[in-house]
Amino acid sequence: MSESLPGATLLAAANLTKNYGNSTALAGVSLQVRAGEATAVMGASGSGKTTLLHCLAGIVLPDAGTVRYSGAAPVEVSSLNDGARSALRRTEFGFVFQQGLLIPELTAGENVALALMLNGTPRPAAEQQAVAALAALGLAGMEGRRIGELSGGQAQRVAIARAQVNGARVLFADEPTGALDSRTSAEVMALLLQSVAGTGRALVVVTHDPEVARWCSRVVTLADGRIVADTAEVAR
Amino acid sequence: MSASGAVARAVDSSPWAVPLRLTWLLNRPGTAGSAAALLPAASFAVVTTLLLTVLAGALSFTQWGDDEGNLYLLLAAFALILLVLPLLTLGGSAARLSARRRDEHLSTLRLLGASARTVRQVTVLEAAAQAFAGALAGVLGYVVLAPFVQLIHFRGAALGSAYWLHPGAAAAGVAAVVVLAAVSSVISLRRVVISPLGVRTRADAQKVHWSRAGIAVLIVGLCVAGLMTPVGAAAIALAIIFAAFAGGLAVLNLVGPWLVARSAGLRLRRAATPQALLAARIILDAPKAAWRQVSALSMVCFTAVVAGAGAALLQTAQSGGPEDFLIQDIMTGVLITVIAGFLMVACSAGINQAATVLDRAELYRSLHRMGMPRDVIDAARTGAVMQPVVLVSTASAAVSGALLFPVVGAALIFNPVAMGFLAASVAVGILLVRAGLAATSPVLTSVLEADAH
Repeated sequence: MSESLPGATLLAAANLTKNYGNSTALAGVSLQVRAGEATAVMGASGSGKTTLLHCLAGIVLPDAGTVRYSGAAPVEVSSLNDGARSALRRTEFGFVFQQGLLIPELTAGENVALALMLNGTPRPAAEQQAVAALAALGLAGMEGRRIGELSGGQAQRVAIARAQVNGARVLFADEPTGALDSRTSAEVMALLLQSVAGTGRALVVVTHDPEVARWCSRVVTLADGRIVADTAEVAR
Repeated sequence: MSASGAVARAVDSSPWAVPLRLTWLLNRPGTAGSAAALLPAASFAVVTTLLLTVLAGALSFTQWGDDEGNLYLLLAAFALILLVLPLLTLGGSAARLSARRRDEHLSTLRLLGASARTVRQVTVLEAAAQAFAGALAGVLGYVVLAPFVQLIHFRGAALGSAYWLHPGAAAAGVAAVVVLAAVSSVISLRRVVISPLGVRTRADAQKVHWSRAGIAVLIVGLCVAGLMTPVGAAAIALAIIFAAFAGGLAVLNLVGPWLVARSAGLRLRRAATPQALLAARIILDAPKAAWRQVSALSMVCFTAVVAGAGAALLQTAQSGGPEDFLIQDIMTGVLITVIAGFLMVACSAGINQAATVLDRAELYRSLHRMGMPRDVIDAARTGAVMQPVVLVSTASAAVSGALLFPVVGAALIFNPVAMGFLAASVAVGILLVRAGLAATSPVLTSVLEADAH
């Protein structure tokens, strides 16, 4: 999979609007996510930051507006059907959630290998790659452990390995350090940033924690479904 | 002091006072009403209808009062015992579903300072209340079925008005359903953790020791030896046959989880697809639960083997003697038990899967967000149930065949009529469980689509 040049636009959202009943989650948000960039999306609870992440990743469809992904074959995410969006998330995007949301019955290695198997990689090769991905994140020799046998930080590393193992171009993280202590949070953020620094990949982190946002190269702040601050705009 | 005042004071001072008030607060008319709430109640209604129907049939045999009548009563008691395990399984499933359905309420109660014990009491009370509501509807079902069941013949005559239960017996049946639901909910809740942060099922992997297989072989040996021992009195012979079959069922429940775990272990090594890997791991994580979910099917298959041999015997028997009625009536009873058992298993499988999907809603949703197709999730959860189902059916048929062999001989067991009856029963059982799973497909869809609008 060829990577985009750092600075090239990977995701472009234009005028995104999303309502849930009478409540407006997004009110005309436009945002570009660039390769090599780590973007923190901040805002108070209910400001629309998770909805923005879901729209960018094609998890939910906006009521109005578009999301364009400039991968190997550029596509308009918001016009794809459910199956095509699932395939896009499986092959091009990676996800890390607050509680890891790993499959408790599987071992750490199997959790990572599963992401590859879903894309058609045979199991032996998938498990081999999973072991290497875990080792790269400091979990060498832990591939056989069940998720319940890992600490919160270790489980989150497994989630990061799972998100990266397919060579995802865009990594989405929703409150990835929300359940961790400050030292482990710093370790997890360092690992997430490591995967985008100087590469053709991008990281989008939804957080309410200013400490987490400080790690990122760009901070976008939402309020009432609108972008009210963007450090990238200030820099320009 | 007025009687109502005394009752109110007694309730207030009872350790159940707070759970009772909380249960009412959470379930008073207008607060519940989702499909997930109706599912357990509807299942208990089916169970009660079946239980009362079988009970009514059994008690109608008291009208004769002769030796043969006593034999009929004994056989009917055996049929009732066969229905207890499916009922217990169903009660446990309903309790789990009840806890999942109300998880936000229950974890909020914990957050507000309610003890784990109080929250468990609330859950048990909810299960009991659902069972009670369902059981009342079940009584109605029993009455509606009456005109049809009254036409069934035993000892050459229709059941007729003898079918009607004494109100006390019906009340006892309802009470039994409620108590069994409460007891199985207590057992089932041991694996559920209700914390201030949410409700989840314990994820510790269960280990199943191989010694279960050794003990099982020993019991089968004792049963077969008992069946091959010549005895004089018919009552003793019958007692030995019952004991042997009870032993056979015990064997199945002892060895079942071990067999399920072994089979899943083999499948895990061979798993080449995500769904196969997931299904095998889900079973291996809780082989006892995987077995328990479908173990009631073992009873039904067991009974079906007996019914198959009975059908073959009927075909070869000479007509005319009173013993013809006995064989024919045993067949009728066995058929009723098989049908009741199948319906309970299907209800149990459906309700269990609804609880499981809700249990894992957040995980399924996240996997779907990451791009895991719905079909893969569906295939994994289906495989985790259907693989044990096939094992249960095969193992039950094999063990019951082995136990029946010394009694009726190979000719009857392998008779085409017997084999056909067994094959049809197993096929219907498997299809019913599959239908139960398919019925929960909308629950999975609603969970996955919760944020996809």
